[in-house]
Order: sequence, then C-alpha cells, then structure tokens
Amino acid sequence: MSDPSLENSANMSGRKIFELITSAAADGSAARLGKLSLPGRKAIETPNFIAATSRGSLPHLTPDNFKRHTAVSGVYMALEEFIEKKEPPVQHTPVGEISRRLHSFTALPSSTVSILGPRRCAAVATPFGNTPKTITVFTSTGFRNVTIPEFTSWIQSLQPDIVLPLADLPNPGATPSSKKLARMVDRTEVWLGEFFDRMALSKSSDSLGSLVFAPVLPVDYPIQWDYLRHLSEDVIDKLSGLAMYDTNNLPDLVNYPSLAPLPKLSMDTPKTPQEVLRQISLGIDICTLMFVNSTSDAGVAMTFSFPPPSVDKVQPLGINMWSPEHNAAVAPLVEGCQCYTCTKHHRAYLRHLLNAKEMLGWNLLQIHNHHVVSEFFAGIRETLGKGEAVFEDAVNRFAATYEPLFPEGTGERPRARGYHFKSEAGSEKINKPAWTDLDKGAEVEIMSLVEDSTPSSESHVVIPAGAITVEAAAAALSLN
Amino acid sequence: MASNVYTSPALSFELLAKCSTTRARASILTLPHGPVQLPIFMPVATQASLKGITPEQLEDTGCRLCLNNTYHLGLKPGQEILDAVGGAHKLQGWNHNLLTDSGGFQMVSLLKLATITEEGVRFLSPHDGSPMLLTPEHSMSLQNSIGSDIMMQLDDVLVTTSPDKARMREAMERSVRWLDRCIAAHKNPDRQNLFCIIQGGLDLEMRRECCEEMVARDTPGIAIGGLSGGEAKADYCRVVETCTALLPDLKPRYVMGIGYPEDLIVSVALGADMFDCVWPTRTARFGNAVTKHGVLNIRNAKYASDFGPIEPGCGCMCCREGEDGMGITRAFIHHNASKETVAAHLLTIHNVWYQLQLMRDIRQAVIEDRFPALIRQFFAQLYEDKSQYPEWAVDALKRVNVDLTV
Repeated sequence: MSDPSLENSANMSGRKIFELITSAAADGSAARLGKLSLPGRKAIETPNFIAATSRGSLPHLTPDNFKRHTAVSGVYMALEEFIEKKEPPVQHTPVGEISRRLHSFTALPSSTVSILGPRRCAAVATPFGNTPKTITVFTSTGFRNVTIPEFTSWIQSLQPDIVLPLADLPNPGATPSSKKLARMVDRTEVWLGEFFDRMALSKSSDSLGSLVFAPVLPVDYPIQWDYLRHLSEDVIDKLSGLAMYDTNNLPDLVNYPSLAPLPKLSMDTPKTPQEVLRQISLGIDICTLMFVNSTSDAGVAMTFSFPPPSVDKVQPLGINMWSPEHNAAVAPLVEGCQCYTCTKHHRAYLRHLLNAKEMLGWNLLQIHNHHVVSEFFAGIRETLGKGEAVFEDAVNRFAATYEPLFPEGTGERPRARGYHFKSEAGSEKINKPAWTDLDKGAEVEIMSLVEDSTPSSESHVVIPAGAITVEAAAAALSLN
Repeated sequence: MASNVYTSPALSFELLAKCSTTRARASILTLPHGPVQLPIFMPVATQASLKGITPEQLEDTGCRLCLNNTYHLGLKPGQEILDAVGGAHKLQGWNHNLLTDSGGFQMVSLLKLATITEEGVRFLSPHDGSPMLLTPEHSMSLQNSIGSDIMMQLDDVLVTTSPDKARMREAMERSVRWLDRCIAAHKNPDRQNLFCIIQGGLDLEMRRECCEEMVARDTPGIAIGGLSGGEAKADYCRVVETCTALLPDLKPRYVMGIGYPEDLIVSVALGADMFDCVWPTRTARFGNAVTKHGVLNIRNAKYASDFGPIEPGCGCMCCREGEDGMGITRAFIHHNASKETVAAHLLTIHNVWYQLQLMRDIRQAVIEDRFPALIRQFFAQLYEDKSQYPEWAVDALKRVNVDLTV
C-alpha cells in the first residue's frame, strides 16, 4: 500500500484513527485486532461492540449507571428519534468548544463514542419507501421525509463522532427486484456525493467534523461492484470506515485493497454471540448489538463466555430469570461475575423484580448483560492475540458448547411504548392485559395472604370471581 | 443517661435541638441499621424497589431509611421466600433502615371490598380477586419475616372524613386493642421496633383519648395515622398539633402518608419528625419535577428547548454537572418523558433528592434556631405573592408563632 491516498483513508486531521494491530489476511477478509481512537474519546479496542440506544438512552440505564456500571465504549443513535418537532430542539443544545451537541443533549459520558445514522437499527417499515431525493423515516409523531440538505445540516449541528450517511435501504423483510436493487445502489452513490459536497461547502473552520462511515448495501456484488469501486477510488480519502448492512458482502471487499484498512461497522445486527463470531471471522471490527437490549427485556441473564469453558453438556446462552426456581436463590446471576448486579444483588431479587414488574429488574439485567458482552469481546481480542488458529478453534468450540439461541423469557416484557413499534393487523399483544373484567371471568383460585395457619386463615377456597369489580381493582392499583 | 436521650432495645432517640419559636425538633434516631437524622422524609420502595433506581442510587441521595409495603411483599415474593432469603434487607441489597406499614392502609381504599371484624380485616386481592385475611398477628408475623427496623401496628383505618362517629370510635378503640395484640405477637422486640398509630379521625377529643391509651403502651415510636385521606388541610393541622402536644418529647413522631413540601414544613413546625409518601416518586413517572419554585411538568412543550438543569442549584446527581454529575437538561427529560423509562428514573432521583434536601435544610435551620426564617423563605420561593399563600398553612403556622402575613 504505497499509494499515499490509501494511507490517508482512515485519517482525521492528519491523525490515523484506526490502527490495525494484527490481521491474518492482508485483504481484511478475516478476524483482526485493531484500535479505533477518536479525539477526546476512550480508544475502542476491536473487535468490539457498540450498544443500540433508544432516543439517546441505553434502555433502562440512566447515564450515571451507564458510566459506572458498564464498559460500553460506543453507542448507536438514530436521527429519526430526534426530529419529530419541526425545529428539533437538539440542534440548539449549547456546547462548549470541545463538546459535541449530540453528546451534550443525551448526557453521554465524554469517553463514549457516538455514532449517528438516519434510522433505528430495527427500523419500522415505511409505507412508501424512499424517493429519488429523500428517505422516509419514522419519528415519534409519524412518518416524514428527510432530504440530503436537511440531513447534512442536522449532522453538522448534532456533531456525532461518526456519521452513517443516508443509504437507500429496502424495508426490513422486503426482497426488492434486481431493478430496484440497482436503483438503491445508484441513489446511495448520488446521495453520498451530495452529502460530501454539502459538508465541504458549509464547513466552517471551528466546527467539529464527523467521521464518515460509508454504507455498503445489502445487495449482491454484481449490482454494487461499481459503487464499491467508487468508494475505494473516488471518495476513499473522505471515508473513515464502512457500515456493512449485510456482512455476507465482506468477502467481496477483497477486490478493493484500499478499503481493507478501514474499520468495518456491522449494521447487520447479529442476534446471537455465534453470529457475532461469524461476523468477526469475516472481518467485522465493530458490531452494533440489539440483542443485549432484547435479551434484558425478555428477563434473560446472559451466561456465555469466550473462549468457552470445557464442559460435558451443551450450555444455555442465558438463564430465564422469570423462572420460579430462582425464588429464594441468594446467588449471583453468574458465579464469579464482577458486574454490579452480581456483586450487589442475587437471583431471588431479580426474579422478584420481574415478577412484581418493577422497572429495576430490567435495569439490573442491562447492567449484567452488557458486562457479559464486554467480557465476551475482551475474550475474543485476547484469543485473537494468540493467533488466527487459536481463535478459529475457540469459535468452533463455542458453537459446540452453547445452544444456538437464547432461552425464551417466559414472563412479560416491559411495556412496549408505541413510537418505535408499529403493530400489524391481527398481531397479538406482547403482554396480557393487566386487568380483566372479573364479572365475566371464570372462578379463580383463592389463597390467603399469610401462609401460617391461624384458625381464621382460609387457604385455597374457591369463590366466584364476580365479587371484585374492575373499578375497585384499579383503585387499589392507584394506591401504589 | 442524659436527659435528652431515650433508649429502648432496638432504638435510641437523641433530641438535639428544639426550635425556640415553633414546635420543630432536630434529633438523631439510631435504628438497627444505623443512625438517621430527623426530621426525615422516607421515600417509598413499595415492592422492595424504589421505582426504577438502584439501591446504590437511592443511597446516593442520602437516604438511610425507606419504606417497604407489607401488603405488597406479602403477595410478592411472599412470606416463605422472605424467610428463605433472610428478610427484605437481604432481598433488596439495602444495608440501611427499612420501615414497613402494617398492610392495613389498603383498607381505606379497598373498603368496598373489605370486611373489618374484631379478628382482623378480610379483603380481596386486586391482583386476582383472592380473599386475604389480615389480623394483627398476621401483620406482625409478616413484618417479622420482612425484618424491618420499624414495624407499624395493624390499625383500623377509616377515612377521616367519615361522618359515622360511632364507627370512628369503634375504629379508634379497636386500634388500641389491636396494638395490644401486635405487642403480644411481635417476635423480635430486641431488633425490630413496633410503633403504635394514633387514630380518631378529625375528632380532637377522640385523638386525645387515643394518644393517652397509646402512650401508656410505651412503644419506642409513635405514629399519627388515618390522615392524608382527603380531609381539609386545616383539619389535618389541628389533628397533628393536638397529638404532638400530648406526645412525649423523647420519642420519634411519624405522620403517615405526608409528602407535599408545604405539608412537610408545616408539619415539622407542628412538632412531627417523620414522613412518607409515594407522591414524589409517582409524580416523577408522570414527568413532574419537584422544585423550590413548585412542581414543573417537564412534558410541557415549553421545556422542549430548555437546556437548563431540572432545578438550578440543585445538588442531585441529575442536576450536578461535571465528572461526578450527569448534567441532565430539562430538554433531555422532555425528549424521553413517557417514551423511555430513563426519564422517569432521572426525575425519581431528582425528586427524592429534593425531598431529602428540604428535610436536611429544615434540620440544619432548627439546630441553628433559624427555622422561622427558613419557613418564610420557603413560602416566598413557592409563591409570587403573600396573598397566594394557602390559608391553612398561614393559620397553622400562626398558632406556632410564625406569622407569614407580616
């Protein structure tokens, strides 16, 4: 790589932001160790993960808990969660000389890297798709269009550390025709060009720039090879990384050596640690993870580690904390785990909190699960440091050691707030209704409040349920 | 033994200072899990969790005594599990003090469903319609299993506004009899304190009678109950001042269910020491921030671009800036209010801090004998004009020698 433009590919103001430490394959098509260092932020050793936020927060965790009790080094935020108002307040956030607006607005710890993209990771499908000049996003007040000029000015105002520019992505689950796929690639290339032009045009000397991770679309190589060539030759000096919307495209990149030194961010969010390992084997440096949040919401505590332990039996990836077996278990979620949840609390409390639908349950699970995932990635890096073969061996053993999927949480989820979910006709509710009309209900089994047997306590009597009214039940609820 | 100290097997009460104008007191109450400074506001961790925040975050607000609700813990996780785990402190990882109610408060709201007899209260679970019996013995047994530092007797609670005088007398007298049963059934008097609860509705004569009966039973602390049930504030104040006048100096006095800042400051002036209420934490979940200038609903559109802290000058984790604070803005809370639970958690932290800080300020003022000046400042910050001061507060304070009108 003697071409000077290649060396600049991951530079920012003359400073190299991504440093490759080891790589089994020079073309970047295998697992590799690296370090992403952004000015003012704690360096991210890769492979690593960034956490998916919701409206600028890691779900359930206040910024103090995020800072004190997680080792999360970067977060993904979605622009669509900040622009429901005509004049989005976030762009007026007062900032000092070195702080960035998105950071200040969301009270993100100063060591944490922010990555801003147009849409949430699991974006809600839009009814009409994108147009030649706009993409459709879903805000808390409904669908709206975002143009390139709007997007660019918001990026300049919000100042994320890293920006993922607009890409013409298909709706989730959709299988566009090849004609449409070709159009998606064309549009993305045009939009990227316009984005760069506008960024350059209105760049003021004192503004803090954002590093650009260009999108690589979930499209087959024969359709986007020319776009990849465009990235690798025409705009390479403006790129700081790549956002991979389909990690299966990683092998295609071997044809473009200038892209190899770029850090690769997976927006093809893996659903299991096994998928994380596969993506890393393909050359992903940073994974955007959704499954930590969803596993916590399911009431499941993660239990896996890397490299895997030597055991005889296939191990689950997590424990269903809803299970009554934990009722009186004064034991940490994972023996030896050093997270706040495991060092200060126990399974019985977690089970109680979930059962009582106390919000703290999900809060403590988020702390534990993010800790497990941070340790998992630390294990990956350590193993990779011992060589490619050691790593691949551990990956294979991991697949043999653990079940392929997380156990299902058997209880209810936190109430899904409507703005980022779109229900479909006929779909079932996630949770049972909290109250039913007992007047219409069947007979219910009765138990006494206290288990000791004073003469008056009646256990397991069956009475008609009609004796309690919904109003009275609601009144009792409002007590606390 | 010094004349300003009272000790009982599981508690000691040291009266540090008395306001020279009002009846306010500052004291140290030492409980099995450490000392707490009175006057005190106790946040309510109903189901062994203070809505969404960790015990560590609660500790950071300075809280050293919070409530659990016996009725709720009896349902979930249940007595058997509480026994197996080793009590509520161990269940929730809280090494400071806990106070539990008797479970009887639910009677007021569930009265339609409850039948009260001499034996106890029979009512239906709002969760599944199952009937539950709560006797004084049950309540003690449950609270012994919970292991709370302060337990409350089971009392016969009526809404104070009930016009049925005969029923009110019956309830008051029954509460006294139930206290005797509670004392007899209490298994751990060496490490758990049982407080009596004075009843008698708004009838001051009945309250006096009840005070006499309850004080004679010499519990280590005394609660004034049956209030905050919708009675007029003026009536409330009359009851509190009537009771505190009859209570011994060297025991803590707890007024149950009180939490509005105005009520707190007036009640302290009337001689009460301890208070609890779900209001500050519940209202947080509705997007409301408690401040010295009143309650702000952060969901209001005017806060969307307000980049100030929740309350300027506040010392809570949310409002503090820099490395040891979060630097939360009203705009960020507005952004997430009723959308992400984080907004509720942040306001919960702020509101609990506000209540505790108010009590710390009151306490310091009593010790330095400048409490009347603090009362004046408090009302001046809350209202733009003296004409807006609530009449009940002005009247009640006048009776303890603080005239807000001059």
